[in-house]
Amino acid sequence: MSTTFRSCFVPTGFILGYIAYLLLGALVFSAIERPVEETLKSDLSSLKAEFLNLSCVNATALETFLEKVLQANKYGVSVLENATLPTNWDLASALFFANTMVTTVGYGHSTPLSDEGKAFSIVYALIGVPFTMLVLTACVQRLMHPLTYGPISICQRRAGLQPRTASVVHFIVLLFLVVLGFFVVPALVFSTIEETWSFLDSFYFCFISLCTIGLGDFVPAEKPGQRLRALYKISVMVYLFVGLMVMFLVLRTFHKLADVHGWTAFFQLPSYEEEDEDREPIIEQEPDDESPEAEKASVKPLDPSSQVSYNSINR
Amino acid sequence: MAAPDLLDPKTATHNSKPRLSFSAQPVLLKSPDDFEPRVTVMRWKTVLSVFLLVVLYLIVGATVFKELEQPHETSQKLAILVEKLEFLEQHPCVNSSDLENLVKQVVSALRAGVNPSGYSSNQSSLWDLSNSFFFAGTVITTIGFGNISPHTEGGRIFCIIYALLGIPLFGFLLAGVGDQLGTIFGKAIAKVEGMIDKWNVSQTKIRVISTVLFILFGCLLFVTLPAIIFKHIEGWSALESIYFVVITLTTIGFGDFVAGEGERRQHEENSGGSELEYLDYYKPLVWFWILIGLAYFAAVLSMIGDWFRVISKKTKEEVGEFRAHAAEWTANVSAEFKETRRRLSVDIYDRFQRAASIKRKLSAEINLSPPVNQQMTPGKRARSVNLGDEREVYPYTFVRNGSLFLNGLIPDYADHLDITKTQTK
Repeated sequence: MSTTFRSCFVPTGFILGYIAYLLLGALVFSAIERPVEETLKSDLSSLKAEFLNLSCVNATALETFLEKVLQANKYGVSVLENATLPTNWDLASALFFANTMVTTVGYGHSTPLSDEGKAFSIVYALIGVPFTMLVLTACVQRLMHPLTYGPISICQRRAGLQPRTASVVHFIVLLFLVVLGFFVVPALVFSTIEETWSFLDSFYFCFISLCTIGLGDFVPAEKPGQRLRALYKISVMVYLFVGLMVMFLVLRTFHKLADVHGWTAFFQLPSYEEEDEDREPIIEQEPDDESPEAEKASVKPLDPSSQVSYNSINR
Repeated sequence: MAAPDLLDPKTATHNSKPRLSFSAQPVLLKSPDDFEPRVTVMRWKTVLSVFLLVVLYLIVGATVFKELEQPHETSQKLAILVEKLEFLEQHPCVNSSDLENLVKQVVSALRAGVNPSGYSSNQSSLWDLSNSFFFAGTVITTIGFGNISPHTEGGRIFCIIYALLGIPLFGFLLAGVGDQLGTIFGKAIAKVEGMIDKWNVSQTKIRVISTVLFILFGCLLFVTLPAIIFKHIEGWSALESIYFVVITLTTIGFGDFVAGEGERRQHEENSGGSELEYLDYYKPLVWFWILIGLAYFAAVLSMIGDWFRVISKKTKEEVGEFRAHAAEWTANVSAEFKETRRRLSVDIYDRFQRAASIKRKLSAEINLSPPVNQQMTPGKRARSVNLGDEREVYPYTFVRNGSLFLNGLIPDYADHLDITKTQTK
């Protein structure tokens, strides 16, 4: 009883710590960046007034003006009159920014303008990125039991399939569900909410975000006059985090599949390792079924090590 | 996607200290001349072939991106140029609506990736081969700067498929590069440790020294040196260079600073930005640095994660130990408490017996016959029966039994003193 409680407590504690860390980052960013953004905005409006007062516009003045406009636009500040763009650094937006930084997505639609903001981002990222990875890994390890080991052993027992076939079937079903639930459905939602996004644009956005590439050409909740902007941003944040977890889950399942089929041994890649010893197996038979295969397949790679994803070095 | 498996239980059982190197096995102190290839590490030939495959993949991607995006970009460029000419031809008394139009055009051009400012119209394309190569690199490393991004539908679909295949591929490459780096560093550390070993320093100190060396050396080679180079070539401040290095190597990749896309800072004399002249091999060199720097940063991040995990495991252990100690202590204390109470009750019973026997002696001397009409409670009857027994048996037997009730000796003594509680245990 205590070990299951502990294995539920640890991920929950991590998640709470993660949320607290995000809030901290959001507050700090908001406090640092808001004044600078306001200054930039007022500079731009005074520049505009100056421009309008000129009686003769020459090319160099135009170029200077355009240069300034571009610089401002790169940081998300618009000079258009009717664009009532809300600030990029209110609490919800700053939280969103901290989340994109810590999950390494990094859209870049709003970036720290001040020197202190940049210095803080350096430290924040260096601590936050491994911490997030730890949190995500802990959650995924916890999720592997009900979502992967459970169904595979059920497949084996009820349908009497071999472990290799069962894992393949399970992986295909999982992939299908993930694509449906985390790409197609959110793409539909985004294309409805954002007027200028087509379905393909939304799908492209979901993919680019969940792979943590984060180009930043599409960012939700950036339209001027967006209703319920804070709520929208926060729900997008949750979607990104859960989606990232699911992607890791798929990757781990694939790694386990590769292990079961002996592909990792063939390529001399790091093999999949089992979970923490203080986790109770939910279904007792399951380790007996999976581990002989895993042990057979992992004869050559001696060391336990992590999955093959590019932030993990062979241990 | 960055997913170091930080909760790796097996390495935790192998060495409780955090891993100080990212090579496949912990560095052995006893055999510093161990140069045999490790079984679990990819051989360098495999790494080289994977590297060539990745380069080929990038070139293919760059070509496809160029074919898809450049026409779109050219048409956008033409449109903005026309706009600019019209604006200049108009009378300089500019009204606000014209200005707004211009600005809108500027912004939409920027979103399309075109820089409308600048004197020359023969700016280099954003989608020429070297830039496309760089873009493909940012996609498969998942950095994703975003200063260039595909705008055609075909470009976007291709980007999705490209990333799906490219990211795992790059993952393998990174694992291989990390292995090589780890091997090199492990050998160096082994040599250094062999030298330090003569000084009879404790192993913990050696480990700590090797970690510090690793971090310092890596920082120097992969962070400080490139930051200085960027500062000079790109014209950024020191903070901005370090910011760029960190944001890139953790694959966040905002894109506000991008090496190779910069414009010279506006000084008082210049009135417009001019594109920097880069050497031809600058961009490929930057990409190569990103590759190795990513491997280094991944190692550092996983080391930090190791520290986190070991700390949490140690805390768990310590908490577990503490709980075990507390339970033990409680058990000890309650056992002692019971023992004390039992001894106390034995002592009291003993004294009572002695007092009772003295009383009987005295009453026997006064009155020889035992009182008949006295109500013989079972206890008293038992006592009268047991009068003949040796008195030293009582403490002995009930010390052995540990329970006053077992002999049925003194139920009314039990009534007087609330000693029943000890007996139920």
